[in-house]
Amino acid sequence: MNASYLPSDYLPVLIQLGLALGFIITTMIVTHSIGPKRKSQKKDDPFECGIPVEGDARTPISIKYFLIAILFVLFDVEVIFLYPWAVNFKGLGVTGFIEMVLFMGLLLAGFYYIIRKGVLKWE
Amino acid sequence: MLTLSLILLPVVAATLLLLIKSPAVKTLALGAALVELALAAYAFATFKADAQMQFEFDYPWIAGAGIRFSGGIDGISVLLVLLTGLLTPLITLSAFGREYDRPSTFYSLILYMQAALMGVFTARDAFLFYLFFEAALIPVYFLAAMWGGEKRIAVTFKFFIYTIFGSLFMLVALVYLYYQTGVPGKPGVHSSAIVDFYNLNLTPAAQGWVFWAFFIAFAIKMPVFPFHTWQPDTYVESPTPATMLLSGIMLKMGVYGLIRFLLPIVPAGLETWGLLATTLSVTGIVYGSIIAIRQRDMKRLIAYSSFAHVGLMAAGVFSQTANGLQGALIQMLAHGINVVGLFFVAEIIFGRTNSRFLDQLGGITRTTPKLTVYFMILLLGSVALPLTNGFVGEFLLLNGVFAYNNWLGAVAGLTIILGAVYMLRMFQKSMFGPTSARTETFDDLSGAESWVLLPLAVMVFWIGIYPNSFLKVTEPAVLNLLQYVVK
Amino acid sequence: MLPIILLSVFGIVLLFMGFLKSKVLLLPATLVFILAALATTFMDWGKTYLYFQNMLLTNNLAILFTTIVLLSAFMVVALSNSFIEDEQAQPAEYYALLLFSLVGAIMMISFENLIMLFVGVEILSVAMYVLAGSDKHSPRSNEAALKYFLMGAFATGIMLFGIALLYGATGTFVVSGIKSYVYTNAYGVSLLLYMGIILLLIGMLFKVSAAPFHFWTPDVYDGTPGLFTAFMSTVVKTAGFAALFRVLSVSFVGVYSFWWGTLAALTCLTLLIGNVTAVYQTSFKRMMAYSSISHAGYLLIGLTALGTQTKQALVFYSLAYSLATISAFGVLLVVSRQRQDTNGVNENFDAFNGLARQNPLLGFVMAVSMLSLAGIPLTAGFWGKFMIFTTAADKGIYWILVFAVLMSTVGIYYYFRVIIAMYFREGAAEPVKVAPFYRYVLIAATILTLVLGLAPGLLEGLV
Repeated sequence: MNASYLPSDYLPVLIQLGLALGFIITTMIVTHSIGPKRKSQKKDDPFECGIPVEGDARTPISIKYFLIAILFVLFDVEVIFLYPWAVNFKGLGVTGFIEMVLFMGLLLAGFYYIIRKGVLKWE
Repeated sequence: MLTLSLILLPVVAATLLLLIKSPAVKTLALGAALVELALAAYAFATFKADAQMQFEFDYPWIAGAGIRFSGGIDGISVLLVLLTGLLTPLITLSAFGREYDRPSTFYSLILYMQAALMGVFTARDAFLFYLFFEAALIPVYFLAAMWGGEKRIAVTFKFFIYTIFGSLFMLVALVYLYYQTGVPGKPGVHSSAIVDFYNLNLTPAAQGWVFWAFFIAFAIKMPVFPFHTWQPDTYVESPTPATMLLSGIMLKMGVYGLIRFLLPIVPAGLETWGLLATTLSVTGIVYGSIIAIRQRDMKRLIAYSSFAHVGLMAAGVFSQTANGLQGALIQMLAHGINVVGLFFVAEIIFGRTNSRFLDQLGGITRTTPKLTVYFMILLLGSVALPLTNGFVGEFLLLNGVFAYNNWLGAVAGLTIILGAVYMLRMFQKSMFGPTSARTETFDDLSGAESWVLLPLAVMVFWIGIYPNSFLKVTEPAVLNLLQYVVK
Repeated sequence: MLPIILLSVFGIVLLFMGFLKSKVLLLPATLVFILAALATTFMDWGKTYLYFQNMLLTNNLAILFTTIVLLSAFMVVALSNSFIEDEQAQPAEYYALLLFSLVGAIMMISFENLIMLFVGVEILSVAMYVLAGSDKHSPRSNEAALKYFLMGAFATGIMLFGIALLYGATGTFVVSGIKSYVYTNAYGVSLLLYMGIILLLIGMLFKVSAAPFHFWTPDVYDGTPGLFTAFMSTVVKTAGFAALFRVLSVSFVGVYSFWWGTLAALTCLTLLIGNVTAVYQTSFKRMMAYSSISHAGYLLIGLTALGTQTKQALVFYSLAYSLATISAFGVLLVVSRQRQDTNGVNENFDAFNGLARQNPLLGFVMAVSMLSLAGIPLTAGFWGKFMIFTTAADKGIYWILVFAVLMSTVGIYYYFRVIIAMYFREGAAEPVKVAPFYRYVLIAATILTLVLGLAPGLLEGLV
């Protein structure tokens, strides 16, 4: 394989970039200029099945939702590590297995900690 | 070992004193100071009058960097060691007249101060010298700021910042000199022994910078005009023992530094800037004397007189003559004795009348034959009457300044006239004349007070009548030092 | 590299110990854990080892820095007895976070691969973000946490960008690999390398709160609970300087002429801003924040004048600074809690009024630590400054030396305000009480400061 590239080798990338940007910009300008524009009170209201709007959309939500969401993301990300390990399972051998067990053990310890702390309790 | 014990004895004694809460603490402090005096006197008596370092000690400190914990006594420092040893017990004894709050802290700070001063005068390593030079500041700062007068906090803080500002420049100079030393063929090996600084070959430009770094540090400490603004307020606001330490011993650190560092290390710098430095010193003499004439506060008057006297010492050192240096050395001893005595007299008068203002005093001499005699002796010493200690020093110093520059010598000579004016004015206003309400029932000296003043009076005459017992000790070292100046 | 593993495990253990009914065990357990980590650190003494596929490298210097960090952490934890009494506090979590942040600090000290530097910085910082906000009901603490997090995240982003550019320029993350790149391409170093150096420096200088990246420091230090401020200003700073030293002295020493001018300018700016602004503070804690900026400036002198003596100077200075800072904060914690004013804890200078009379020990501890920070002889701080100054003199950069000397005169001014308040002013009459163990820690730190001040040769020849 050729390890060194000349600047000209990047030309296709540049063309691709230009095309993508050009398409977006053109579409935005064109739709904006040729589309019809009508404004009215009713049209600017947020649509809620014809019922008059009540209150602010930004009401405080219980912190518990965020906690659950964060915990989900955390464990989700950790689980991603399982995929490359699974693919290379044979190559990594026993060492890889032990390391993964350790990793999962730590993860489980964290999980246990969360439960004991009562983070997942809704009431 | 003798030198090391001179430094360590007060430290140990002071630390033990801190643990004692009984009222006997002052007696113990006096005892420690007397033992120290015995050691210092022994050192002086057995000192061989040659140019060598004696009673040396030398231990590795930061061995890899060539910085050593080393000290000793030579002809330059022997009189100052004696002075420190002599004055500290007297200062301690002089404090007995007044009850100080937290006495164990008070007396141990005096002893810590003594240890640091001994360290300054005996250090052979430049950084050790610097360490003690700065360390001496801390006890006296606490003494002044804890037991001082009303404005003590602001005044002593100014004093502290001012003096440390100066000495930091000296640190820069010392670091610079340290990096100029070296062993040929061994890069990265340096030495901070003061003697090794003497043999450096510095360029004239570098000498100029180093000269100013040293000059500012020592000029603030002494102080030399125009770096004196901290001095009168600090002397007045401090409790008298602290004032005695400051004026009697600590300002000698500045003069000693000039002799030990400035003269032999930067002769070319002195060649270039010496005239300016001498002019500043001589300006200080006249300026301090004239202000002293106008003072009504006794303590402030003595402070300005001290400022004027130290200007003459500095001028004598800058003259680079054997007479000037000898004069400076013996005058340091003499001035320490006189100024401590005068401050003590002011303290006695203040203690009985609650006033230091000359216009509120007068007629004290009617009831106090002893005080009058001692006051007169110290005063005559201070105005340099022949046969008193001040005469020897001032004569040699003026001789040196004349040899350096006739005009400056002539101006410096005014010190004798002006000194007589302000001193005699002080004596006359306080001791003679009609008695005031404050001085009517003035008691003569108590036993302890006499014991402070008697040794001082003896020293005034000893130095005045037979100065040779001190001059011959310092002479070889001075001549040896002058070789570096004219190299 | 046992300490990293041990501290991670101990941290998890501590989390679970928090479920125990009694909280009595937590403090001694944490102390034992830190001591265990400290003991294992010395297993590598005298040797140079590469660990984890060349990710980490330990040598004597790294061990010394680790020791300083662990010692600081030990003292901070030892001064933390108030947590146990506080109903709101979560001591197990705090201790665990402290141990985790130590893992990050050790990684920053002994990284060989720049990725490890990044991971270490993140581990350290994330734990500190949480601890900064640990006083949940105080708006100041919340503000501190948020500010620290936003600015810190931004800075680590910049640092990561710098690391990426360095990789682009050299094709390696390994510190010594970058070094060999710099040496083999002495005349045609890629522009990316320079940009990478600048960005990496910005990120790291932010962490050690050097000007002009210091704006977060006063608010964060002020808002964070005092104990964690002490931790922040010692452990984070020591680790940051260890990391800076490693990357500058190994990777970038070949392009010294490129970065030293910039660093010298930043050094002077840091010294100026830290010292001059500290003079105007009325709160002791805020003064300590600016003082920490100024000490970053002194440490930067050592890096600006990178030479053979730099490492010893950095080690000595960090140790002296850490000892003094922790004892100062230790005294502040006691005093501010027992001398409350209308706004709650009193962290102003006047809280110290008359302290030397009511509690001579605390007064003495504080006085020594202030003298040490001001660089007055007979304390460790003096020799720290001395060694830093000699590095500059060794390189012949005297102007920076003179500037630093001027700035340390300014420093004396604000450090002595505390001494004046304690010794020369009249204050409240009621005595200030100190728990025995607390007292021993403060005494030990003070004695160490004085011993190093008298015999600086003790640490000689270790690195």
